[in-house]
Amino acid sequence: MTTALPAVHPAPAHAPEKPTIDGDKTLSQVTSDVFSPIEKRASTAWKLSFTAAASALLLGVVAVGYQVATGIGTWGLNRTVGWAFDITNFVFWVGIGHAGTLISAVLLLFRQKWRTSINRSAEAMTIFAVMCAGIFPLIHMGRPWLAHWVFPYPNTRGSLWVNFRSPLLWDVFAIGTYFTISAAFWYVGLVPDLATARDRAKGIRKKILATLALGWDGSARTWSRYEIACTLLAALATPLVVSVHSVVSMDFATAVIPGWHATLFPPYFVIGAVFSGFAMVLTLMLVARKVMSLKDYITPRHIGAMCKVIVFTGSIVALAYLTEVFTAWYSGNPYEKFVFLNRAKGPFAWAFWTMVACNVISPQLLWFRRIRESIPAVFVLSLVINVGMWFERFVIIVTSLTRDYLPSSWSGYAPTLVEVATLIGSFGLFFTLFLLFCRYVPMIAASEVKGVLVRREAQRGPR
Amino acid sequence: MLHDGHVIVAAGRGAAPVFRAERVSSAPRTTAPADGTLAVVLYPKVAMLDGSQAHNAWLHELPDPVTKTTWDNYACLAPETAERLGVETGDVVRISADGVPAIDLPALVQPGQHVGVVAVAVGYGRLGTDRFTRIGPQWLESEPTVAEGGTVGRSSAPLAILDERGFRITGRVARVERTGRREVLACTQDHHTLEVPKHLAPAHGEVRDAVRTTTFAKWVADPAKAIARHRPPAADLWAPDHANAGPRWGMAIDLSACSGCSGCVIACQAENNVPAVGRDEVRRHREMHWIRIDRYYAGEGDATSASHQPLMCQHCANAPCETVCPVLATVHSAEGLNQQIYNRCVGTRYCANNCPYKTRRFNWFDYPREDRLQNLALNPDVTVRSRGVMEKCSLCVQRIQSAKAEAKRSGVALADGDIRTACQQSCPAGAIVFGDLSDPASAASRLVAQGRAYAVLGEINVKPSVTYLADVRNASAPQDAR
Amino acid sequence: MTQRVEAAIFTSEDALLAAARECRARGIEIVDVHSPHPIHGIDDVVGIRRSRISTVTLVAGAAGLSFGLWLQYWTSATDWPLDVGGKPFDSLPAFVPVAFELTVLFAGLSTVAALLVRSRLRPGRAPRLAGAGVTDDRFALLVAPKAGDVTSRDLATLWERFGAECAFAVEDAS
Repeated sequence: MTTALPAVHPAPAHAPEKPTIDGDKTLSQVTSDVFSPIEKRASTAWKLSFTAAASALLLGVVAVGYQVATGIGTWGLNRTVGWAFDITNFVFWVGIGHAGTLISAVLLLFRQKWRTSINRSAEAMTIFAVMCAGIFPLIHMGRPWLAHWVFPYPNTRGSLWVNFRSPLLWDVFAIGTYFTISAAFWYVGLVPDLATARDRAKGIRKKILATLALGWDGSARTWSRYEIACTLLAALATPLVVSVHSVVSMDFATAVIPGWHATLFPPYFVIGAVFSGFAMVLTLMLVARKVMSLKDYITPRHIGAMCKVIVFTGSIVALAYLTEVFTAWYSGNPYEKFVFLNRAKGPFAWAFWTMVACNVISPQLLWFRRIRESIPAVFVLSLVINVGMWFERFVIIVTSLTRDYLPSSWSGYAPTLVEVATLIGSFGLFFTLFLLFCRYVPMIAASEVKGVLVRREAQRGPR
Repeated sequence: MLHDGHVIVAAGRGAAPVFRAERVSSAPRTTAPADGTLAVVLYPKVAMLDGSQAHNAWLHELPDPVTKTTWDNYACLAPETAERLGVETGDVVRISADGVPAIDLPALVQPGQHVGVVAVAVGYGRLGTDRFTRIGPQWLESEPTVAEGGTVGRSSAPLAILDERGFRITGRVARVERTGRREVLACTQDHHTLEVPKHLAPAHGEVRDAVRTTTFAKWVADPAKAIARHRPPAADLWAPDHANAGPRWGMAIDLSACSGCSGCVIACQAENNVPAVGRDEVRRHREMHWIRIDRYYAGEGDATSASHQPLMCQHCANAPCETVCPVLATVHSAEGLNQQIYNRCVGTRYCANNCPYKTRRFNWFDYPREDRLQNLALNPDVTVRSRGVMEKCSLCVQRIQSAKAEAKRSGVALADGDIRTACQQSCPAGAIVFGDLSDPASAASRLVAQGRAYAVLGEINVKPSVTYLADVRNASAPQDAR
Repeated sequence: MTQRVEAAIFTSEDALLAAARECRARGIEIVDVHSPHPIHGIDDVVGIRRSRISTVTLVAGAAGLSFGLWLQYWTSATDWPLDVGGKPFDSLPAFVPVAFELTVLFAGLSTVAALLVRSRLRPGRAPRLAGAGVTDDRFALLVAPKAGDVTSRDLATLWERFGAECAFAVEDAS
């Protein structure tokens, strides 16, 4: 028995609120905007991008396959420089991931409503970046087929456990936990939207989505628990994100190598990670709003907010660079002093000054409103910052190793083709995953956006 | 005698010959010929000699005690001469004798050499050395070990003189000119002095003190002052937690005695199954030697001197390599050895990065060991390492273990000197002494207690088990002149 | 036991909220509310108590921390103590990062597990939707009026007053 009822009540006037989303959307418009891109056929632009990304991935797979079959010697490492591209890429990708967690967790705790249209893709970026990052510690091993030995499981060798004093082991736990919690958080956030997609779909697609949506029905009881669970996960992810890059930095900070051995590293690395991560979020969002027609959801307000975060974190990064140099000078330790002179004037000075130009000078341009409001300028700057942050890790790792204590062991480093192909392959993996995400997963957290829409049609019954 | 293969002669010393300083005079200085020609000096290298060793890959890969270069011969030129000719190390030069081009060789700028001389090693370019073409790992970017002619190095025979007075390796006058080509020499050392490059040093310069040198006069005047450097006292963060009642193995190395001959390097290679990896790998700084001889020049021109320092794993009590290994593949033994457990190693190379002495060696590839005849030369007491694992000096742990087993079997307690490491055994100068540092009467302990003793990089408090005895020289040591 | 449950579909959360408040005032039992996004202030109206998931998180986190510390201490100092870099067997400061990560891992996974178990979310569960569109732009209010308490007519009037789009009887969806 269905009774149709007339629903004509005047909407009361609300105080105007600065909208998070442009275009005066209704709920169903939001649904249609978010879900129709993943229900339509793929656009030519998507297909071309996917082909390019998948080709890069394939190149990386071939390079890694060759390296694993032949030996780490196919990389340009030597007796003095045991890490270079591998761990540079690892730290770079972990850093990229941090902005995603920051946007999804920290901004949730601070009730920043503008995060709703970018948090889903930022979290996806986190997960894919951590996947790219995790590959490097695996393939940089001389015997990657024994990688499971880094886990403390009972075995027939004693049991021989693992070395809990090693920062690399801390990495295993930090990256493992970070990936697991990020993936869980992301999936939980996705469930309501998967339910929406399920209810719009037909046939086999509906069956798949029904399985993935876990029987979500939008009950108030579930929503209540869901919101508490999300807040708890955000509260856990916030210290986690700080711990992850702190632990990564301890790979270097706890070592005895001058240029690595620095107590400044944990905060320096965390803020650098946020800096590079926001730059990567900007890069991806600027592309996505164009390619996936999401201009009403990723508005100049979002871009402006992210630019401000970048100029803030970029300034802290610059301060960290200065502090590092000051500490080396003030310590009076000749080895430490030498490291910084060697960075600035030694064989890798080009890498050092690239880093300074990209990370210290370029973000300062974002103080100007005209630059913040120019989409092409922001896009270029976001790319420049990512290049700079890659070089930051390269400079820290390689310049410190090439010339440490004994001059007899000083050496150089140059990457081989295999290493370059592996780096390209990691970008291929990242963009392949991200493009698949754009194509098959609602890119915007529709249920969250609906929650922050200004309610124009609201109606009130008599009291 | 035939059964044992050796003769035991009674130990003891003959009367030491008296050194008569008045018989010695400095070699006459000659200036370079005004016409720009150079006198050719052909010389035998310590490992290759006249070339009779040219089929031994170990000796080809042994870094020359002075040039630290492997797998090639080259044209040694004094820095001034090289500057005049406009060549740098690695520029291929053409040496023409009597107007006829004799050989093309990469140049090597040799500090301290006479300005009027071009020196070339003999014994290279031997027929049959093409068998070393593919000695190292073969992969996408690998390069052959032989020189352009298909042999290891080039024959210097065209520069020798064979006439009615016989065969002479000096006396030829040659013209040396650039060819414009370059060839990277496989040198194990990139930076040749203890002084850091001037543009990277503070205004007054910076000299690292890995090798400590002093003059006899200063040493006699005040031993402590002659050797010691001011360092802040090192403090331990952790309370000691590893009581050890047994021996604590260590070593003392006398830099005054070491001549850099490199016999220890080959002895170690033979004892510990260290592979020869080929020229391309050495160029990439991936030589595998567990012990190396660092050579540092000091001074300029005629006053150039060289110091040699044998360096192997220092078996630090606070080993930075051990802390960072995620899988416990390198740990400390109760006897003070830093042990590398090959079959546990997953190959993160973190230990090598964190080694301040850079004495750890990584198996970048599966080094070829298919030659069954050559494999008969492997030491059965030492594991052959596979690809992807770290390795390094074990202080000849196999010798320690077998001596302990023998002592247990015979019931006679181990005496000082029962265990000799391969490097110690082969050192003609007795510069390397291995022993139990917990026994104050052992030879090693007595050396460590000397005033000349110091630890390389002692200031970072890694507590190495290898102690060096400073180099005390009769002449004034230029690097001590500051 | 099958109960009479009636669903009313609204097009805005404010309308639903108002209708729900009215039902509560009249003593009509509210079974549930289904909505495409969380509605703030609905918990008190429907009578939802604050979830105890945070207790699960706390307990699991404490368990993770204890397990982490115990695992590291036992493996490093008790089961097979090894001299590593001259550090004590019980290198407590070095055990902090792993203990922290295990705390977060246990707490986080338990939180998700508690949410899924408590809300009976699992693959293969058929969603019991109160009506089409509750995952899109419709808001459903499910009430269970006791027999004789409120008539169908009373309810229909109520729905009309609050601008419900439609109303219909459903099986017990609780």
